[in-house]
Amino acid sequence: MGHSLWQSVLGEIEVSVSHATYMTWFKNTELLETTDESVTIAVPNIFAQRQFEVKFNDQIKEILEKNGVKPTTISYVVKTNKNKPVTSRETTRTETKAADRLVAPLPKKQTATNGLNPRYTFANFIVGSSNDLAYSACQAVAKNPGTKYNPLFLYGGVGLGKTHLIQAVGNEITAKSPETAVLYISSETFVNDFLESIRFKKKGFADKYRNIDVLIVDDMQFIAGKEKTQEEFFHTFNALHQANKQIIISSDKPPRNIPTLTERLRSRFEWGMSIDIQMPDFETRCAILEAKAAASSAEIDRSTVEYLANNVKTNIRELEGALNQLLAYSEMRGIPADISTAEGLIGNVRRSRPQHLSSRQIIDKTARHFQLTTAEICSSKRDKHIVTPRQIAMYLLRSELHLSFPKIAAELGRKDHTTAIHSVEKIEKAIKLDFMIREQVAELREKLYA
Amino acid sequence: MEVTVTQENLSFALNNTSRIASSKAGLPILSNILLRTDSSRLLIAATNLEVASSHRIGAKVIKPGSITIPAKLLSDFIQNLPKEQITLKVANNKLHISAKNSSSTINGIADDEFPELPVIDDKKAISYNLSSDDFKHSVSQTVIAASSDSTRPILTGVYWHSFEKNLYLAATDGYRLTERRIVATKSDVEAVIPTSTLQEVLRTLRDDINEIEVLFDETQVTFRLAEVEITSRLIDGNFPDYRQLIPSSTESSFTVSRSELMRIIKIAGLFARESGGGITLNLDVDASRLTVHSIASEVGENSSEIEVKAKGQSGSVSLNSRYLTDALNAVTSDEVSFGFSGKLAPCVLEESIKDPNYKHIIMPLKS
Repeated sequence: MGHSLWQSVLGEIEVSVSHATYMTWFKNTELLETTDESVTIAVPNIFAQRQFEVKFNDQIKEILEKNGVKPTTISYVVKTNKNKPVTSRETTRTETKAADRLVAPLPKKQTATNGLNPRYTFANFIVGSSNDLAYSACQAVAKNPGTKYNPLFLYGGVGLGKTHLIQAVGNEITAKSPETAVLYISSETFVNDFLESIRFKKKGFADKYRNIDVLIVDDMQFIAGKEKTQEEFFHTFNALHQANKQIIISSDKPPRNIPTLTERLRSRFEWGMSIDIQMPDFETRCAILEAKAAASSAEIDRSTVEYLANNVKTNIRELEGALNQLLAYSEMRGIPADISTAEGLIGNVRRSRPQHLSSRQIIDKTARHFQLTTAEICSSKRDKHIVTPRQIAMYLLRSELHLSFPKIAAELGRKDHTTAIHSVEKIEKAIKLDFMIREQVAELREKLYA
Repeated sequence: MEVTVTQENLSFALNNTSRIASSKAGLPILSNILLRTDSSRLLIAATNLEVASSHRIGAKVIKPGSITIPAKLLSDFIQNLPKEQITLKVANNKLHISAKNSSSTINGIADDEFPELPVIDDKKAISYNLSSDDFKHSVSQTVIAASSDSTRPILTGVYWHSFEKNLYLAATDGYRLTERRIVATKSDVEAVIPTSTLQEVLRTLRDDINEIEVLFDETQVTFRLAEVEITSRLIDGNFPDYRQLIPSSTESSFTVSRSELMRIIKIAGLFARESGGGITLNLDVDASRLTVHSIASEVGENSSEIEVKAKGQSGSVSLNSRYLTDALNAVTSDEVSFGFSGKLAPCVLEESIKDPNYKHIIMPLKS
């Protein structure tokens, strides 16, 4: 009852005083006690206490009377938490934090400040046809920072090794010449630092980013849509580039596909070298699995490796996850990490995905991806904007489901299986040459297994 | 309202109160200063709802009244007037200021909206009279260790409390801790005073004030410095039980001249900027020698020695040089004693006198 009474008092006061006054004085007040003679109200501090006693007392008394409460005295007390028993979990946490102990201040470690993880090196990066260009470019940059490819822009889907490669460049440079100032950050750190420098008028933001020799920025796409930050990054970029300092950037999309990236930044990102990293092929996946197994000194036979590589196709992180799961499982159960165990487990790894992809799904999803209807893609229309998607659908049916060519032709309403052969070959070739096609196929694949 | 005051008195009062008036608070009137006649004085006050400062200055009151005026403008204006008499006159919520060869008008706001200034009940409050020197020393010796981390509000203040019939001040930020004993007391006091309030009192303290009266009640504290009154809220919560953190004895200790130690710590600090201020003290008890060492991989390194009176075991400890210079600055005696127990336990710096009243605890750096 006390609560609702006070709420009605507050409601009436809120409309009679200015908003600032209300927020300053009436926020955090509560009714503690009502008896026939007296009312006790808790206020947050002494200033509020005095203000209530002198200025608001008459008004509150009047409203209380209107609500049928006629106290002879109204007293105002300052709320305190002092000596209250600790009840909620939250206070326990803060109490132990403000704790009854002194802690040693941590000395700043020089190595920790460049943000690099020493685990990522060139030596433990597995090179395959999908990433050899990126690998060689990174090595060239590590050898002669600031001269060859500047900026170096790497892009590709999640879990394909972008972070590994760009950190390897940083680690290689620091190992060779420790006096080079390398800084690895995620674009989010840049944004946060920038915001903080504005908010708290902190100095040293420009110093931190402009007095370095190699700047590595991971996940650049997160800068999209942040205009002021982009402007600041633009100036940082120019300052470094002018001074022939190396800049390395990674992102999940090529610069021109990052939405709301300002034109001047986009053109600068495209200035040096941009390379995409693709999903590794089967052989590379096998090599990665074998290297990882060796790193955790586990023995795993060839057929099991092939089985895993064949069944996990989305990204390397998941591939490693599947391997780790297999190894952990075999260790805990004391059974060999062989193909039969893997078969039992792989279901777990991929449970989130449809067990069997149907040809219908591939056609539907391809059509939707290109904003076409399924009927259109299966029709006999030969408009350019339908032909290419149709060919991609055929390619996917072949590469993902290993359907026969006559079957593929039938699925898309063609009579002649040579059309299917031609389409698949055409897309296979296009993937190597045309970046747009490669991008579309990769995106579609991701959607299929999402 | 119409009063005549001297520029010096008004300027001093405005200087102190305008610091408190804040433009950040939600209520616009809080960026104003209150001027109000009070029998034969002029009251000048400001508050930010954490602390309130009020000055009473001598005035020739011709007509009583009041007004509030934007703090910064008024204070800057009065500061630049010649040291002569100033007449303040209020009409239609405007303040007319006439001084020698100058007259101006500032728009003000009526004082109805201005918050009531809190008053402490002298009869119920616990009060102490401290000499201003004592106050100045004790406060500046302790505030240095107070935390500025607003996520732990209780540590952003100085803990005034009674313990074994004495009044103590203590502060800590989790890395270092200061404790100072002030006067004997019979009453029980327990209050955490915000650091900003204490700094405000220190700034307001003029040389001609010899005594400060400090009054506590459950929720507020008031400092009276002659005709200035500073009232502040207390920080709510329980201060950690810090006494258990002060080591009762240390394994190694040495006594040395404060200025000598300060000199070599400062030198070592020059080479410690890179490592976050880390310097290493090495005590050789047999040779009665202290070696201070610091290294900066890009700059060079330094190592200095001084003769000390050593006790206990030989050993070494790494500290932040800034913390150590802060501590040495806070201690007043010519000789200081420093004790530590290995690389990880808290270090104690004290005045090397019988029954020292100040302790400064520093945690070593993990190295």
